[in-house]
Amino acid sequence: MRKRLTGILAGIGLSLACTTSVFAQELTIFWAEWDPANYLQELANEYEKETGVKVTVETTPWSDFQTKAFTEFNAKGSAYDLIVGDSQWLGAASEAGHYVDLTDFVKENKVLETMAPATVKFYAEYPGNSGKYWSIPAEGDAVGWSYRKDWFEDPKEKEAFKAKYGYELDAPKTWKELRDISEFFHRPDEKRYGVAIYTDNSYDAMAMGFENALFSYGGDLGNPETYQVEGYINSDKAVAALDAYKELYKFTPPGWAKTFFVEDNQAITEGLAAMSMNYFAFFPALLNESTNPHAKNTGFFANPAGPGGDQYAALGGQGISIVSYSENKEEAFKFLKWFIKDETQKRWAELGGYTCNKAVLESEAFQKATPYNKAFYDTMFKVKDFWAVPEYAELLTQLNQRVYPAIVGGEGTSKETLDALAKDWTETFKKYGRLK
Amino acid sequence: MAAVTTSTERSLNRLAIVGVLIVTMIFLAPIYWIASTAFKPRNLSTTIPPTVVFTPEVSPFVKLFTKRSQLRTPPTPEEYAAAPWWERMVFDGGEKVVRDGKGNVQWSGYPSRFMNSLIVAIVSTILAVGMGTLTAYGFSRFKVKGEGDLLFFILSTRMLPPVVVAIPMFLMYRAVGLNDTHLGLIILYTAFNLSFSVWLMKGFMDEIPKEYEEAALVDGYTRMQAFFKVVLPEAATGIAATAVFCFITAWNEYAFALIMTNRRAQTAPPFIPSQVGSGLPDWTVIAAGTLLFLLPVAIFTFLLRNHLLRGVTFGAIRK
Amino acid sequence: MATAVMTSLDPKSRAAARGMSDIAIRNLFIVPTIVFLIVFNVFPLIYSLGYSFTDFRASTNSPANFVGLQNYRALLNDPFIWNNFAITAKYVIVSVVGQVLVGFGTAMLLNRTIPFKGLLTTLLLLPMMLSMAVVGLFWKLLYDPSFGIINYALGLGTFEWLANPRMALYAVAITDIWMWSPFVMLLSLAGLSAVPKHLYEAAAIDRAGPFYTFFRITLPLVAPILMIAIIFRTMEAFKTFDLAYVLTSQPTTELISIRLYKMAFQEWQTGMSCAFAYIVLLMVLAITNIYVKYLNKVKER
Repeated sequence: MRKRLTGILAGIGLSLACTTSVFAQELTIFWAEWDPANYLQELANEYEKETGVKVTVETTPWSDFQTKAFTEFNAKGSAYDLIVGDSQWLGAASEAGHYVDLTDFVKENKVLETMAPATVKFYAEYPGNSGKYWSIPAEGDAVGWSYRKDWFEDPKEKEAFKAKYGYELDAPKTWKELRDISEFFHRPDEKRYGVAIYTDNSYDAMAMGFENALFSYGGDLGNPETYQVEGYINSDKAVAALDAYKELYKFTPPGWAKTFFVEDNQAITEGLAAMSMNYFAFFPALLNESTNPHAKNTGFFANPAGPGGDQYAALGGQGISIVSYSENKEEAFKFLKWFIKDETQKRWAELGGYTCNKAVLESEAFQKATPYNKAFYDTMFKVKDFWAVPEYAELLTQLNQRVYPAIVGGEGTSKETLDALAKDWTETFKKYGRLK
Repeated sequence: MAAVTTSTERSLNRLAIVGVLIVTMIFLAPIYWIASTAFKPRNLSTTIPPTVVFTPEVSPFVKLFTKRSQLRTPPTPEEYAAAPWWERMVFDGGEKVVRDGKGNVQWSGYPSRFMNSLIVAIVSTILAVGMGTLTAYGFSRFKVKGEGDLLFFILSTRMLPPVVVAIPMFLMYRAVGLNDTHLGLIILYTAFNLSFSVWLMKGFMDEIPKEYEEAALVDGYTRMQAFFKVVLPEAATGIAATAVFCFITAWNEYAFALIMTNRRAQTAPPFIPSQVGSGLPDWTVIAAGTLLFLLPVAIFTFLLRNHLLRGVTFGAIRK
Repeated sequence: MATAVMTSLDPKSRAAARGMSDIAIRNLFIVPTIVFLIVFNVFPLIYSLGYSFTDFRASTNSPANFVGLQNYRALLNDPFIWNNFAITAKYVIVSVVGQVLVGFGTAMLLNRTIPFKGLLTTLLLLPMMLSMAVVGLFWKLLYDPSFGIINYALGLGTFEWLANPRMALYAVAITDIWMWSPFVMLLSLAGLSAVPKHLYEAAAIDRAGPFYTFFRITLPLVAPILMIAIIFRTMEAFKTFDLAYVLTSQPTTELISIRLYKMAFQEWQTGMSCAFAYIVLLMVLAITNIYVKYLNKVKER
C-alpha cells in the first residue's frame, strides 16, 4: 500500500515538475531581498546581452533567507542554480554536499590572487586553512556606522560636549567615545536618542551587533582550532564588551527590541538617533535624498576601537556558490568565470555591488565613489566572523537565548550570562564531537 | 425584536447602535489606515500625527509590480522626459526600474505569487468543501461504526500546529518530489481544511429533513440522484459558508508556504513583507500589496454574505 | 466500520435496485476523506515517530542513529522548553478570553434592531480576512513608540508595547483579539438569533431582571455554539506562529510553534524536533478531548 501510494504520488509530482522545468539557457540565482541583489540583477542582464543566457536573481526577505535556502537544499531541489549564501553556512552546506566543490576552479582561475585575502578566507574556505573552497567572494560587507553630521558639527553641541566630557565632539574613535556621545545625545524629552544598534534575535542580527563590541574589546568567540570556548567567550574582555553593549542599549530610541538593518536605517531617516550601526550595503538608502531627508547631513565611520586598541568589525557579505542539485552546472560555471573577470568586478562595483576584487578595492575611483567606501575598505581588513560549523544555527540560538534577555531585559550580570553561554556552547561542541 | 415599545427599550437600542458604531470604528481603523497608506506618497506614510488629507497616488502599485533598485545617480533630464509616466513615478521615489538584457521592464515577484495563491486557494477550497460535504452527508445519514471516534479523529487533524506536520511532510515530500509544487500545497491545505469542512457541513446536513430525500426516493430517484438533486441545493447555504472559511484559511496560510515552497509555487503571504527588505521599509508598497491581496477574499465573502450569515445560524442550531 | 446501515430503503425495493447500494454510497462518501487524512496526517506522524528516537538531521547525509529516549529526556529537562509551554498557555488564555468577551459582547449589541446590520457584520469580518504575517507587520508599526498611531491616539507617549518583556505577550494577544473576535462574534450572533423569542417575552412577563434573563436564558442557549467557537479559537491560538514571529522576538513571547520552527527548520535538529512535536501532539489531543467531552455535556443539557 505504502509503496504503491508513494509511486502514484511520485508520478503526479513528476508530471507537475516537468511542466515547470527550467530551460537550459536560463540560470537562477538565489539571494536575499536587498539592494545588492538588484545590482546583481543589473549585472546579470549585461551577461544576458553578451551571451544570450538569461539570469534571474530570485530574492526572499532576510528573515526567511536561511530557512528558504536550507529547505531547498535539504529537499535537494533544483530551483536555484547558484546561491549567494551567508559565510556561516559554509560548514553546513559543504559537509552535506549542497555546494559544488570549487577548489579547482578557484586555483585555475587565480581567485586567490585577484580577491582580497580576508574575503576568500571568510566567504569561500571551509574548514579554515584547509585549502578547500566552496564559493567565490561576491559581496563584501561588514558593519559600519552612520551619524548625523549636523548634530555633531553644531558649535553649541560641541561646546557643551567638551564641557561635560573634556574632549572634542567628533565621530567616535573608541567604544568609550561611542558611549559618551550616545549618552550626550540621548534626550528623550526632545525625541532624540543616542544610538541605534541591532537587537533582533530571530537570526544573526543581535549576534553581529554584539560581535562588534566583543572583537574590538579584544574578546573572541572561542578557539577556532580546538573549539574551546571556556575562557574565551566568558573572558574578562568579553564581559566588558557585553557590559558596553548593554550600556549602549540604554541610549536607544524607545521600543528598540527587535531591530535590524531596516530599523537602524530608519533611526537616521526619521531623525531619531545620532548614530546608527549598520552593514555598509544598506548605506546607499541613506545617501538617497528621496528616501533620507537628512542625506546631506549623514556621515559615516568605521567600527571604533576597544580599550586595548583592537579594532574589528563583524563580517557580513556573501560568496556565490553553485548548488549541487542544479541541472545547469556547466552554465553556472561559465557565469562564475565571467563574474570573476576584472572588468566584470569593476562593473559590479560601479553598479553598487561591494566587490572583493583587490585591484578594484584599492583603486581611487572606488574609494572616492561614495562617502563610506573608504571606511568600507579599511574595515574589510579587520573583520571577524561567527562560527561556520554545520551546527552554527544551534550556537546562534543559544547565544540569542542567553544574551538577548541580558541586553533587552537587563537580566543577570554579564559574567553570569556569558558563563552560561560558554556552558551551552561547550555542551554543543561535545555533542558533535568537536570537544572531548 | 418584535416588541420594542417601552422607552427604556428604545434608549437601550440607541445605546446599542452607538456601541456597535464605536466597535466597528475601532475594528476598521487599522484597515482604513492600511487602505489609505496604499495611496500615500512615501514620505507621508509614517508621520505623527497621521496624515489624513493627501493627494492619492498610484505609485505604490507601480512599485508593487516592478523590480526596482536604489537610484545612485539621478536620471538626466532627457532620460526623465523620455520615460513613461509610471517610470517617472519610480524615479521620483529615488529608485529606478530594473530592465532585463533586452531592455524589457522586469516584473516583481508579486503577480506570479498572487497567481500561485489563486490556484492553490481555489483548488484546495473546492476539494476540501467537496470532500467535506460528501463525508458529512455520509456521517449524517448512515450508521457508521465508531462514528464519534472517527469524527474526533477528523477534528484532531486540525489541532496540530502546522510546524508539527511540516517536519514529516517535508521529509515525505522530499522523497516523492512534491516540495515546491502547487499540488503539494493543495494537498496540505485540503488536508488542513477538511476537518473544519466535515464538522461544519455535518451540522448543516443534520438540519436537512430526511423526508425530502425519502420523498425523492419514492418518486423513483436513486440515492445518488436524490443527493445531488435534493440534498445539495438544500445545503447550498452551508456550503457557501464553509467555502468562505476554507478559502480565507488557504488564502492566508503562511507557515507551510514558508517551509514547503520556493521559487515555483510560493504564495503571496510570505512575499508581501519582503517589500520591507531593501534598506528602508516602504510601507506604501506593503499596504498596496496587502490591499490587493485582501480584495479577492473580501469580494468572495461579500458575494456570499447572506449565505454566510444565514448559514452560520442554520448550522448552529444543532451543532 | 462496515456493518450497520441506517436507511429507510428496503433492500428489495425498486429504488434500491437502481443505482448503487447505500453501503457503497456511504463508503464512497466517507472512505476517501478518511484515507486522505490518514495518508496526509497520520502516516507522516508515524513516519516522524521513528525519527523522534534518533539523532537524525535532515540537513546532513549522515545516517540516523538510534538514541532511545534521549531526545525526550533532553527536551523535558530543558528549562527553556518548559518556559515555552508556560508562555503558550498564558497566551491562549488571554487571547481566547479576550476574543470571547469582545466577540460575544459585540454580538449582544448587534442582536437588536440595528440599521445596516448585515453590512456592519460583513465589515466587522474584515480583520480575519487578512494574512497573519501582514497583520503582524502592520501592528508592529502601529505599536511603534516613535511613529505608531496607537500611542498617538491613546496619548501614551513612548509606551513600549513590544520592547517591554512583560507587555509583549499581551500586545500580541491584543492583535489576535482584534483579528479573531469577529469570528466569535459571527458564531455568537448565530447562536443568539436562534434563541426563541417567546422565551424573552415570557421572562418579560415574569418581570425578570436583565441579569436573570442573560444568565438563565441567553447564555445556556448560546453555550453550545460558543463552545465550538472556543474550541476552534483555542486550537488556533495554541498553534499561533506567524503573528508572534513577525511582531516580536522577546523570549517572553516565544510560543511553542516558534521554538519548534527554529529547532526544525533553522537548526535542523530533525530527530529532536520530531520528539518535541510528539510532546505537543499529546498535549493538544488531551486538551481537545476535554473540550469535546465538555461540549457534549453542554449539548445534552
